[in-house]
Amino acid sequence: MLGFSVALQPGVLWYAVLGCVVGTLVGVLPGIGPLAGISILLPVTYGLDATKAIVMLAGIYYGSQYGGSTTSILMRIPGEASSVMTCIDGYAMAQKGRAGAALCIAAVGSFIAGTFGVIMLTLVAPPLANFALRFGPPEYTALLVLGLIFLAYMSSTSLVRTLLMASVGLLLGTIGIDVMTGHFRYSFDIKELGDGIGIVPVAVGLFGLGEILSRASKDATGQVIRPKLRELLPSREEWRQSRMPIARGTVLGFLIGIVPGSAHIISSFLSYAIEKRISKHPEEFGKGAVAGVAGPESANNSASTGAFVPMLALGIPTGPVTAVLIAALMLHGIPAGPTLVNDHPQVFWGFVASMYVGNLVLLALNLPLVGMFVNLLRIRYYYLYPLIIMFCIIGVYEVNNSIIDVWIMLIMGVAGYLLRKFDFDPAPLVLGLVITPTFELSLRQSLVMSSGDWFIFFQRPISATLFACSAILLLLAAYSMISRRDWRAKLAEVDAADKG
Amino acid sequence: MILRRDHIAGAAFVAAGIVVLAVSQDLPIGRLASPGAGMLPVLITSLMILLGLVVMLQAGSSPPLAEVSWHDLPHAAKLTAVAAVTASLYNTLGFVISMALMLFVLVYIVERRNLFAALAFSIPIPLATYAAFEYLLKTPLERGLLWF
Repeated sequence: MLGFSVALQPGVLWYAVLGCVVGTLVGVLPGIGPLAGISILLPVTYGLDATKAIVMLAGIYYGSQYGGSTTSILMRIPGEASSVMTCIDGYAMAQKGRAGAALCIAAVGSFIAGTFGVIMLTLVAPPLANFALRFGPPEYTALLVLGLIFLAYMSSTSLVRTLLMASVGLLLGTIGIDVMTGHFRYSFDIKELGDGIGIVPVAVGLFGLGEILSRASKDATGQVIRPKLRELLPSREEWRQSRMPIARGTVLGFLIGIVPGSAHIISSFLSYAIEKRISKHPEEFGKGAVAGVAGPESANNSASTGAFVPMLALGIPTGPVTAVLIAALMLHGIPAGPTLVNDHPQVFWGFVASMYVGNLVLLALNLPLVGMFVNLLRIRYYYLYPLIIMFCIIGVYEVNNSIIDVWIMLIMGVAGYLLRKFDFDPAPLVLGLVITPTFELSLRQSLVMSSGDWFIFFQRPISATLFACSAILLLLAAYSMISRRDWRAKLAEVDAADKG
Repeated sequence: MILRRDHIAGAAFVAAGIVVLAVSQDLPIGRLASPGAGMLPVLITSLMILLGLVVMLQAGSSPPLAEVSWHDLPHAAKLTAVAAVTASLYNTLGFVISMALMLFVLVYIVERRNLFAALAFSIPIPLATYAAFEYLLKTPLERGLLWF
């Protein structure tokens, strides 16, 4: 009840709605992902209290999952990476004159999945946070190592490449004053680097500017199928076909969402693969199968909510978006983690309750206003990307009023462009950067506690279990590398079969 | 031997790691019982070099370097140059002037759009954004040469 009393305050409600609207726009417009959207708008939240800020930024995140389906269905262009699978059958449905039904199924599936995710978040996060209060430095070290290895295992690129990116992020995170000894590290007499490299310039550079540099010469606008409002309701048969895929996608998405990795992307791919595998009519996939829209759209929304469980309960980011949200909380003086539920209940419960409200707002937004969002796609990309660059510069500069941050963003933009050219996913880099302070502090405190004995990590049951899980994942990854047969290969086969 | 994409990528990380190790020499490593400021950076850099070597060793499955498409490089270089000049002028000229110039250059010179369309796009948008941040969001942007 505390949460709803906070979330239904007019001020908080306004920012929840605003976040959902902006998130939908971010999802609709190709070239702006949720990470860039959240990073760019982070400075706008400075004047707000922590609850309003996190409610608005989270609204952008899950709103973008809803919005991403619109361009996938109407244009065959994924507004967001997690909507790639929706392109296949969503666009095929649109070509058959069922665009409205596809949009409605996507929106209702997203609503059900999002609401389920929030209910599970309400049930799971507080006990998990209480359990995590038992964690000391060795447990946190083990948890962060497991998180990185899980991320690498679940990543769409190879384990080695993901760990390499994470290690670059960890290295960047060591720049600045060492909190335990006061030594300056890699600051090269630039006083602005004394506090380290900020997450916002790195995230905006890699994902905002880097994406623009990679694609600015391409104009995304193509043929748009415009649905009529009266055609929005699916037929009884379409509802029947979507029921179980929505249920399966919802549960699958939530489970994948709580583990590190690009959960919202992976969950939609896996949901599509599962639906195709168990379907009595797999030949319909790629030609407008309702399950090919309902499953992945439900899965990516459920996953984006599931990602909040480790973020809120443990203070552990499962991906770059939750990493930036943790940074947003820290900017407002609120530490994400086990103490959040007890020390700042109005932030925690207000945030959770706002997600119930946000899911309703998104359902209301995505159906009747679909025509308005489609009109946004008429903005030519050569007008859109200069605006994004402008907002990237404002967003980064306003964090610390520092032009050094803008230069860091530019360097990271070029790095993001090069990393894409060489097939590296920059997301683990941001994750590494975010966890460095906690990881380094936990590691060094553990070593000091044990007088330099590494066995401290294996003598305590929780940390030993977590390290055992890490070892198992590494073995599984090594087996996949040797046999060259893992889930990525299977998904690639499904994808290739659909494209074929 | 065919030079492949991952030969270059792996070598770049190995080279970067060696440079970082070289500049880390003045950082105290400490002991296991009392780790110094240099311990984690050295550990991570060593891991980065090792992983870079693995990427190089696995390069056989990556495409040849010559097949990596660089057709968008000139456009990306232009955007980076315009953004860099804007960043260097931002504090002096302020938000409105520097952003108006950046938008105009990107639309009119880089994208070769109509002059009047470029002007109609690049002047009102920074002014409206400035006003929105100043009066609605109460987050003032850099004024620079402007008096208001």
